[in-house]
Amino acid sequence: MSGEHLLARTDEAQLFRDLSRSNQVTTWRWFAGMGILALVLLWGIGVFVYMMMTGMGVTGLNRPVFWGVLIVNFVFWIGLSHSGTLISAILRLTHATWRAPILRAAEAMTAFSLLVGALFPLIHLGRNWRFYYTIPYPNERGLWPNMRSPLMWDAVAINTYLLGSLTFLYVGMIPDLALLRDNSTGWRRRLYSILSLGFRGTHAEWRRYRVASTFFAILIIPVAVSVHSIVSWDFAMAKVPGWHSTIFAPYFVVGAIFSGIAGVILVMAVLRRVFRLEKALTPLHFDNLGKLLCTMSLLWGYFYFTEFLTVWYNRNPEEWEVFRSYGKSFLPVFLLMITCNFVVPFPLLCLRKVRRSVQAIFGVSLLVVVGMYSERVLIVVASLARRNDPFIWHNYFPTWVELSITAASFAMFAMLYMVFSKIFPIMAISEIKERLFHTTERSIGSATAEAIARVEEHGEGEGK
Amino acid sequence: MKHRWAMAIDLDRCTGCGACVVACSAENNIPVVGEEEAAKGRLMHWIRVNRYWEEDSPSARAVYLPVPCMHCERAPCEIVCPVYATYHNEDGLNAMVYNRCIGTRYCANNCPYSVRVFNWYDYKWEKPLDEQLSPDLSVRSRGVMEKCSFCVQRIRRVKDKAAEEGRKIRDGEVQPACVQTCPPGALVFGDLEDPDSEISRLFRDPRRFRLFEHLGTEPHVVYLKRRKGAGV
Amino acid sequence: MSGVVVIGLFDGVEKAARAGKALRSLPLPAGNITTISGVPLPDGAVCEDPRPIRFPRVIIAAWFVGALAGLGLALATYLLYPLITAGKAIVSIPPTLIVTYEIAMLFALMATLIAGALEMGLGRFKARKVHDPRIHEGKIAVCALVEPGEQARRAAGALTEAGGTEVRVEEGEL
Repeated sequence: MSGEHLLARTDEAQLFRDLSRSNQVTTWRWFAGMGILALVLLWGIGVFVYMMMTGMGVTGLNRPVFWGVLIVNFVFWIGLSHSGTLISAILRLTHATWRAPILRAAEAMTAFSLLVGALFPLIHLGRNWRFYYTIPYPNERGLWPNMRSPLMWDAVAINTYLLGSLTFLYVGMIPDLALLRDNSTGWRRRLYSILSLGFRGTHAEWRRYRVASTFFAILIIPVAVSVHSIVSWDFAMAKVPGWHSTIFAPYFVVGAIFSGIAGVILVMAVLRRVFRLEKALTPLHFDNLGKLLCTMSLLWGYFYFTEFLTVWYNRNPEEWEVFRSYGKSFLPVFLLMITCNFVVPFPLLCLRKVRRSVQAIFGVSLLVVVGMYSERVLIVVASLARRNDPFIWHNYFPTWVELSITAASFAMFAMLYMVFSKIFPIMAISEIKERLFHTTERSIGSATAEAIARVEEHGEGEGK
Repeated sequence: MKHRWAMAIDLDRCTGCGACVVACSAENNIPVVGEEEAAKGRLMHWIRVNRYWEEDSPSARAVYLPVPCMHCERAPCEIVCPVYATYHNEDGLNAMVYNRCIGTRYCANNCPYSVRVFNWYDYKWEKPLDEQLSPDLSVRSRGVMEKCSFCVQRIRRVKDKAAEEGRKIRDGEVQPACVQTCPPGALVFGDLEDPDSEISRLFRDPRRFRLFEHLGTEPHVVYLKRRKGAGV
Repeated sequence: MSGVVVIGLFDGVEKAARAGKALRSLPLPAGNITTISGVPLPDGAVCEDPRPIRFPRVIIAAWFVGALAGLGLALATYLLYPLITAGKAIVSIPPTLIVTYEIAMLFALMATLIAGALEMGLGRFKARKVHDPRIHEGKIAVCALVEPGEQARRAAGALTEAGGTEVRVEEGEL
């Protein structure tokens, strides 16, 4: 049995049916879920229109806290979008053998959380209907947007990242779309025929496809890093104590990857349960993602401690007032953040038992997502509430308007994901098959091990 | 004809009466937001009078600090507006263009003096209060930032008059509403380009300091330090 | 290219490799032989792809074009209506670098999609491309572009000898 690869022993048709179960059967539960989510989304849209017609006064914003939950949502969703692209891109480039079942869901998560996050800069505008002033098009006023503003860097960067990650998701799906095309009928067959662009799987196509995938992975990583750096510079460029810190760019990128990996674990756990993908998404995958999450928790703790240490040591009065408020008015948020980001996750994730249990790691990831949300609340709100002039210090609390819009954003993300899972393959079937093709069982003495073949590049190996 | 408008606030004379606030609100079509909105931190005053207590005791003295827009030479609010709704004009003023503002509120976040205010609603002037609105400037819609403009409509009127009459602007001819109203005369306004003006003299006064000078915003508003001692 | 395509299905890489060797010894140029498979096969396993992959050069070129476009965008927005903000220079360099970089990456990403798709021959819906959906059941299709008539018959024979099923000659392109 040692020479034959695992794909030869697999019933490929059955494998296809198992992995594309989400595309085949639609139960009443899907429709019910979509219905509830649609209601939440419609409610949120209605509330947004109300806010647009009445004015931003219906939120909890004030002077000096001019940015609140809506901007927190922006940073949160853009942060979550770092999941897929980074995991998918980095795992592809490092040829990690366990990446195949995770790729598609992670890339989809990136695309959809970006779509949701990119709406918030439009939602939080005072005069939303004039958003097009930020678009550089020739106009009779002869006025152009101000490229010195970090908000314009946001516009350019998020646009690039959105188009890039949608393209990355799409190109990654092309072989699977071809597979679906060959296995479906009716409107689905027509849709997949168009989307797969006539991909068949010839040798020349595969070779070029691998090169294109590699280039995507190489290009999307610097874009992802730059996007969240630029989002962090919305804050770091300001003369607000607690924001104006050089550590913001790497700190935010690390935080984004941290929350992103947690998000991927959540999504994978849900998909595994709903579409019965236990055989494809094994405890090994959660174990490896858990190790990544553990590392990111440690990194996040390191960055946070570094920032805290410099402010605490220097006691620069403006910054120190902000940090002092963490122990007073903002104590609940601060404690929530520290507990959910580091104190609880880090020790738990060091334990193999926790990482291998899907329920346990689901719980830990949920804590991490909550913790990262509260971290952003603390950054955005506390620094503004206790800024330079003590006479105008004021607290902030979100109103039902902001909470409704937040809920609607979660509903929108879930709906996008549910529609995606119905129409498109949520498992990278071709990648899974490719892995099985390269895997054989090798006997070493009395033990058997899985051996995964990798084609040698030119120049590797000892002088052949 | 180049100008550099600036203001000096003599803290020896300021009594904290707040007449400047009222005059400014009357001159510049500033809405009265009401008690509830004020408690939420939504006051719309373009100039405010900060009050600090010297110490935490029953006999503590209050220190009053009127804070208008500083019209900073290196205004941090100007650079972060994505649509150029605020910029620095040739007279050294930080200009605010209401029609261009899309309400990102980044400029307000970047102002260390927190002098920028936002139109949280469409404020209404019930009849007959609408008759008090000044026709020289607009009533701002919801979603737009606004701030002290050194009464630019008065500056413009004086500039036009002087140009008509073919002369230079006299020192003290331009008076923003707050400067005109201040009963003890704590506020002084003028053109720094005129070396003989009162404001140029005060800018050289040894008592002068700028608010948050360490931030490097180079404000055009200076304060004259309160002299402590008997009788003060 | 005028000609017909001879295609046969094989049950595993070893059989397909024998078929590939047989076709090459007919002789047929290596560029006219290819496989259609559900998983990518290493170069040289069954057939070779002698044509060089060109589109990475387009990607690099697109990056530079994008950088120029980003630079142009930044400079245009500064210079067409110059307004002083915060006492900074009208042409501010650090924001220019950021915008240039982002637009360059955007162009490179789009070029990867478009140039890659074009070089793969995707998007040509009108063309008669040879295909067999049974590759998704684990079969590998070996095909060759041949002259109709004698060469086609010999190629079909070689495929059948190597163990191919459903060997047929079709009109179309590789």
